[in-house]
Order: sequence, then structure tokens, then C-alpha cells
Amino acid sequence: MGRQQLEEVRIPACKNMANAFGRKANSMMKIKKCCSTTWLMPCLLIFGLLIASCGQRATDKKQHDLKIGSAEIKYARGFNIDYYDGYKLVSIYSGSSTKKDTVQYVLLSEGKTPPVGYKKSQIIHIPLKKLVAMSSMHVALADFAGSADAIVGLGSLKYVSSPVVRANIKAGKVKEVGIDGTMNDEMLISMKPDLLMVMGNPDAKFSKYETLSGAGVPVMLNSEWLETTPLGRAEWVKLMAALMNKESQVNAKFAAVEKEYNKLAEIGRKALNKPAVISGMPYKGTWYVPDGDSYMVVFLKDAGTTYKWGNVHGTGSLALNFEAVAPEALKADFWLNIGYVDSKKDISAQDARYAAFKPFKTGKLFNYNKRVNDIGSNDYWESGAVSPQLILADLIRILHPELLPDHQLVYYKQLN
Amino acid sequence: MNKIKVSVLLALLVFAFLLDVALGSIHIPLKAVMGILVSPDTADTTWLYIIQQIRLPKALTAIVVGCGLSVSGLQMQTLFRNPLAGPSVLGITAGASLGVALVMLSAGTITSLYSIKELGISGSWLIILASSIGAAMVMLLVVTISSSLKDNVIVLIVGVMIGNITFSIISIWQYFSAPELIKDYLIWTFGSLGGVTGDQLLILTIVVIVGTAISFLSSKLLDALLLGDNYARSMGVTVKRARLLIIGSTSILAGGITAFCGPIGFIGIAVPHLTRALFNTSNHRVLIPGCCLVGTLLMLVCDIVAQLPGSQTVLPINVITALVGSPVVIWIIVGRHKLKGF
Repeated sequence: MGRQQLEEVRIPACKNMANAFGRKANSMMKIKKCCSTTWLMPCLLIFGLLIASCGQRATDKKQHDLKIGSAEIKYARGFNIDYYDGYKLVSIYSGSSTKKDTVQYVLLSEGKTPPVGYKKSQIIHIPLKKLVAMSSMHVALADFAGSADAIVGLGSLKYVSSPVVRANIKAGKVKEVGIDGTMNDEMLISMKPDLLMVMGNPDAKFSKYETLSGAGVPVMLNSEWLETTPLGRAEWVKLMAALMNKESQVNAKFAAVEKEYNKLAEIGRKALNKPAVISGMPYKGTWYVPDGDSYMVVFLKDAGTTYKWGNVHGTGSLALNFEAVAPEALKADFWLNIGYVDSKKDISAQDARYAAFKPFKTGKLFNYNKRVNDIGSNDYWESGAVSPQLILADLIRILHPELLPDHQLVYYKQLN
Repeated sequence: MNKIKVSVLLALLVFAFLLDVALGSIHIPLKAVMGILVSPDTADTTWLYIIQQIRLPKALTAIVVGCGLSVSGLQMQTLFRNPLAGPSVLGITAGASLGVALVMLSAGTITSLYSIKELGISGSWLIILASSIGAAMVMLLVVTISSSLKDNVIVLIVGVMIGNITFSIISIWQYFSAPELIKDYLIWTFGSLGGVTGDQLLILTIVVIVGTAISFLSSKLLDALLLGDNYARSMGVTVKRARLLIIGSTSILAGGITAFCGPIGFIGIAVPHLTRALFNTSNHRVLIPGCCLVGTLLMLVCDIVAQLPGSQTVLPINVITALVGSPVVIWIIVGRHKLKGF
């Protein structure tokens, strides 16, 4: 927290900088300080060399664009934010471990001229005043940054929990633009949003959105769903912070989430007994279970559980034969994240065979649907995505009630 | 000669059935499998669950489905005298799919669905109900139109067109549905033998027995139709009534199976050809039981392959039926240089 405050103090001092930024910036500021002395030229030279040797795509960039810092991204692997004088550069990477930057966006502050040399990058004018979001996660990011008011369009008005956005929908301020194949391009273009945020993998084809970007609607392909840790997913709030010019506020809020999560994870991991858990539900003979590269498994590990496929590495989920999971299900202590069911009866209606599972018999069935609202949207996928500390607390309360006796379940509920 | 063939087929069938029950993702020694089949009380509970609750129902479903689809395919090929006809030509499968799409893609937004749920029908039964209703509606439409038509070829064209219309309606619906709902629906269209147990298996078995029995009882009609409508008339067959009977039993078979297992392709087209080639006859009294045997055997083999024994995953049955079956059909038919019975 000490360093965070230090940053807060430092920021107002450097007003020529577009914005506040993450903690890595401290070292950069030190350089700036020494730059003010006679060391200016050598400093610049070293800096230039550094950038060049780092192998970044500096070749098509103007030489005098000096990087003045980067956001500190500790958990997320899918994006990075670099700060330059008058603009920010957002890079969204492919989900693989080799950090290969695939899409870059220039975030331009008001009144500034676009930097030269980013012909391939889209230019986004910040702070965003009009945002169109395609997934609940994007709504959650904006809500976290206190900018949910900026949302003027959603893919579907059916999947939203944020009270701010729902009030705006009621007031007719939010339009439904359609999802994926059915996106209403004409409506989107006429809305002139500052940004359309879509769910996507940077490796996927952008051509789907060329009509929009050609018409001057910047399209950002988020890939937060590829993150392999809960904090990594939540850390995408820093991207929203950069878009909204709210770095200091969001960084402080995220640091609190992070601190709380790590505190809880320590409690969970130290738990003496590690109950066996199963997750999900088979459908037509196939049972999709999260694997070791899924953020869900990180939750399970941090909550102190035994989970059979925790060390299998793959794409985030394994498509298993029903009978491959059945031995685990028959003897598991808890059945979590069951899916679109709300009672024991719903489960046995899906397939009477599930009633033989031990957690079904002992009643230790916990589903993440406590915060499903009147229109059927589950807040677990929205605010839950940026509140990993609450989900972890829920899980620890479920699995080890003695460790968090006072916690009231937020997202989870027991099925009867 | 036929007796030897039937005996060999029966032996293979029993072997394939045992193999299907014995092989799977979890290794269970053959001795233990036999032990469970003979005296279930002494076995390890996990193994007991896997054999009794997962593998046996699946193998039994394979038998029932293999039987039903093959017989309905045979009837359609005979009725329309067309080697490419199958259980899906009349649009019945499409109708069943429309019913399922209605339930899955609307995901409870339609008020009538709530009232159905109030009756206590939910989950897998809801899908089965919707699918059966969809199949029945299309069947009624086809029967109504065909009862005023004289020519079977026109009936065939009408059936195919109704199927096309139904699939376009589904496509439009998919186009406007949320991706996660579409995914559920797509998985359903892959077909599966794994979801049918208990009461559902019982009902499916009854449906298939009834459908096959109707078909067997009308084998004389089928034999007569094979020689042409006029010949059949001269034999004293009322073509329209015969047609209704055949369409009816096919609808029961194809609609019922699609309701419980999803659309399973290929078997219905391929097995009649294999059976004709194998028994070298066009007599339906031989062909119908023959189709039951061959269809069952092929379905069991496909199920064994689909599980990829020893691996943790399972492939959609629809992929396997075409992958395993097509080469067999090509081999046999090309080898014989002709299509028997046409």
C-alpha cells in the first residue's frame, strides 16, 4: 500500500504526462528526474538503444516518441499498456505463453495529434464517452472502473446485471446492437461509439469487423477469457482504466482485490483436509471438466481442494467420456459449478444416474447461480469476473466452513 | 445358406456387444466385466456403476437404434425405389430437430414452455417431448399431402422439400440465438447413444419394437411395391393405404430414435444395401430381420470405435457411423457391380 500512496503523490507532480500509470512507472520517473540534469543526451541514447534492442516494433515509429512508462501487469498475460507523451499504446497478445504482440491500439488523449508510424493500429480517443460492450465481462470492467455510464450499447440487453447499466437500459440510453453474426453494423456506425469492445482471440480473423473499423468505429478484441488465473482475468480492469483515464483509482481498487485474494488463497492452500471436488455436468455422454490451464482450477487449488485434472495441461477444458469422470463423481465430497440447474430435482431430471453421486446423496451441491437476476442474467459471469476474492471466499466457506465462519455466500448457493 | 449367415451374424453380434461393454475409458478387466454381468452383487461399486449405468444402457441403445434406423431406411428405399432414400428423406428428422431447436434455442423464454415445466416435465424429457412433437407434426403434414398424391416420386420430393423448409427455419433461429445456446443445439445434432437410460431406454425399445413389427407385418406390401405401383395394384394392394402404413412406421422409428439420440446419419442408408448384398435377395421377410442384425452389428462397432477404447474422450457417434460405414458400403457395392433390388 505504501508504494501505491507514493505513486498517488507523484502523479500530480508530472502534469505533462497524460495520465497516472502503474507502479513500474516509478523507475521511469527516476530516469526523467535525472534527465533534467546534464545527463540528458546519454540518457536518451541509452533509452533509444534499449527500445531498439528489446526488439519492439520501433522501426516504423518516429524516433522522438519516448516511452515514459508501462502499466504494471502482474497476472494477466493477454495485454500490455505502454505510455508515451500524449498517447498510450495498448498491445493485445495471443493467449499462448510466447508473448507475440498481434494487435496494437493507440489511445489518444483529447486535443493531441495522432502519432506517426502506427498505420496498422486503430486509434481510440480517450477517455471513452461512448462504449459498446459485447460481453458481461466488459460491463464488469467498466463497472469496476466506475464508468458503466459510458456504456451506450450492448450485444444483448438480456445479459446484464450492473444496476447502473440496467437503469440506463430502462431510461432508453442503451441500445441492443446484436451479437456476433447478427450485429447491426448500420446502427453501430450511426451510434458513433468511441470503442466497440468484442470478445475475441487476437489470432482470430479481424475481417468480421472491417466494415465497422473502416467506418471509423474502433474495434478492440479482448481476450480476457483466455487468462489462466482469476487475478489475471480481473487484471483486465487496468485496460479499462487506461481507456477511461482512471489509472490511479482502478489500480488502488485492484491492489485491494489482489491483497484480499492472496490472503484468502493462503488460508485455503493451508487447509489441512482437501476435499475432493467435481465440476460441471455431463451432456450426451461427454463431460467437460476444467483442466490445469483453467482459471477455475486455480480457484479450486487456492480454495484447498483435491481435483483430479488439476495438473493436466491443455486448452482450459477437457472433453471427457462420462465414464472417465464417473469414478471421481461417485466418491467426490463436493459438486461445484453444476450449470443451468437450480435444484436436486433439476439434476435428476437431466439424468437419473447423477443421483448416485456421493455429493448428491450428502447434499453437498453448490452452484454459482445465487445472483441470477429477474431477467436470467448471472452476475457470477459479470461482477464475479472482477471480484475473484469474493468467489474464493465463497469457495473456502463452502469447502472449509471453519476457516471463514462469518462469510456469507455471495455468488454460490446450495442446491436442495 | 442363410442359416449359416444368420448364425455368423448372431455370433458376431454377441461378440461385439460384449466387446462394447468390456471396452471403455476406464480399464475394467474382462473377468470383472463378466462377473458383473453374471452376479452384480459382489462387484466393486464404481465398476458396477460404470457397467450397469453407463456401458450397458449405451450398448442396448446401440442395438435398438441400429435396428430401427436400418429397417426404416429399408422401407423408404423400397417405397420410393430409390437407393439414396433413408429415414431422413421425409423430413421427419428435420421436424424432430425443429422441436429440439425450439426448446434449446428459446431457453425458456416462451411462456408455453413454463407451463410444460409446471407439469414436471423438464430436462431430457422436455427435449424428447419436443422432438417427438416436431417429428409428428412434419409426419402429419407429409401424410396429409401424400394422401392426395398418386405418384410416390412426388411424395419423395414433397418430403425432401418439407425437410428443407424445416432446416431453414432452424437456421434462421440459430442465426438469432446466443452462441452458448447454439453450442448445446449443435452437440445435440452430433447424435449420442450415451444419454438414454432407465425409463427412456424402455420407451425407446417399445417404440422401435412397434415400428419394426408394423414393418415386418407389411413385408408382403413392400415386396409388391418393389415391382412398381401398377404391379402392386394388380396384386390387390391398395397403394395409398400401403404407403400410409409404411410412412407411419418409418415416422415412428425415425422420429422416436431422433428424439432420444439426436439425428444419427448414414446407418439408415447404408445397412439396407449391405443386407441386400449379404443375403442376395429382395424378399422383405428376409431383409427386415437381416437389416436388424446388420444394423445392430454396425452400430455396436461404431460405438466401440467412437469411445476410442483406452482414451478419456468420446467422439460423436455421427462422425463414426459415416467414417466406418462408408468404406464398407463402397467395398461391398463396388465389388458386386450392382445395386440389388432395384
